[in-house]
Amino acid sequence: MRIPLQLAVIFAICLAGEFLHRIVGVPLPGNIIGMVLLLILLCTKVIKPEQISGVSNFFLKHLALFFLPPSIAIMAVGDDILSKWPLLLFLCIAFTLVTIAMGGWTTQFLIRRQERHSGKTSDGGDK
Amino acid sequence: MNAIINSPLFGIFLTLVAFETGVFISKRFKYSFLNPLLIGNILIVGFLLITGISLESYNVGGDYISVMLSPATVVLAIPLYRQISKLKQFWMPILIGIFVGSLTSIACVILFSKLLGLSDTLMLSLLPKSVTIPMGSVISAQIGGIPSVTIIAITVTGITGAVAAPAVCRFCRIKHKVAQGIAIGTASHALGTTRAMEMGEVQGAMSSLAIGIAGLFTAVVAPVLLKLL
Repeated sequence: MRIPLQLAVIFAICLAGEFLHRIVGVPLPGNIIGMVLLLILLCTKVIKPEQISGVSNFFLKHLALFFLPPSIAIMAVGDDILSKWPLLLFLCIAFTLVTIAMGGWTTQFLIRRQERHSGKTSDGGDK
Repeated sequence: MNAIINSPLFGIFLTLVAFETGVFISKRFKYSFLNPLLIGNILIVGFLLITGISLESYNVGGDYISVMLSPATVVLAIPLYRQISKLKQFWMPILIGIFVGSLTSIACVILFSKLLGLSDTLMLSLLPKSVTIPMGSVISAQIGGIPSVTIIAITVTGITGAVAAPAVCRFCRIKHKVAQGIAIGTASHALGTTRAMEMGEVQGAMSSLAIGIAGLFTAVVAPVLLKLL
């Protein structure tokens, strides 16, 4: 598919997600619904990944760029909260580390247990 | 000069230059805290503060790039689709892992907010901090937080995940690629996912899978947990 057509397909899915959220009232943000819609289209082979790879590779490769403008909102925070910034920063960092550890441990423990039961191993225990 | 600054071209140009400078610096010096987004953020905030240009002027152009978050989120379905066999294989560990991770994040915020005597508004604003920005800001408004504070907490959380995830995985001996991806996506949404993708395709796909599910869990669990308190 030509790039403009690929873009049209992806924006159509975005719009469908917004429609389902705003008009139909699905209680999930439009872009998350869009992600689920594209997943369904891929699983049902309506769209093949290669057909939209030109646009999708661009977005996936430079994903962080699209978070840069929203992150600048850090300038607009009020003084009452701004004065607490060292504490809040510390808490945000600490909680994130704990969350990664808990999520990772739980998942890894359950995967290892499942593998022991089925007697299979997968690509995980590298080194 | 104002006509130039208030043109969308200005914000877009500033974003692109700051981001590419960030990418250049992070490639040149291989320290993991030198995240392109972190450097880009500091460069833009610094530039705006020094020149006195307002956030509104920057956002005239910045918003054009922010709009692209929507298609960028949608195409996350592709790495997810490529890894769908892994999801089928490990659906129970994955769902329970995401649930425990989301619950940990919420419980930490509630517990320490009460302990340190933070205001309820601040607590509610921090609560969805591990959830992706478009979902987290909606959850924040729903439970009575300030969405703009939530967006900042989400960004700090995301940068933390993107910077520290490989080190945390090493330190905590989280070696399974699926577990690494799930942990990163659950804790630090799409921003952490950018780092997970650098770690490998499996990690990236599992991380992007965890974003949506962690958002769903948080949207459902947070109001219920708050009612119990």
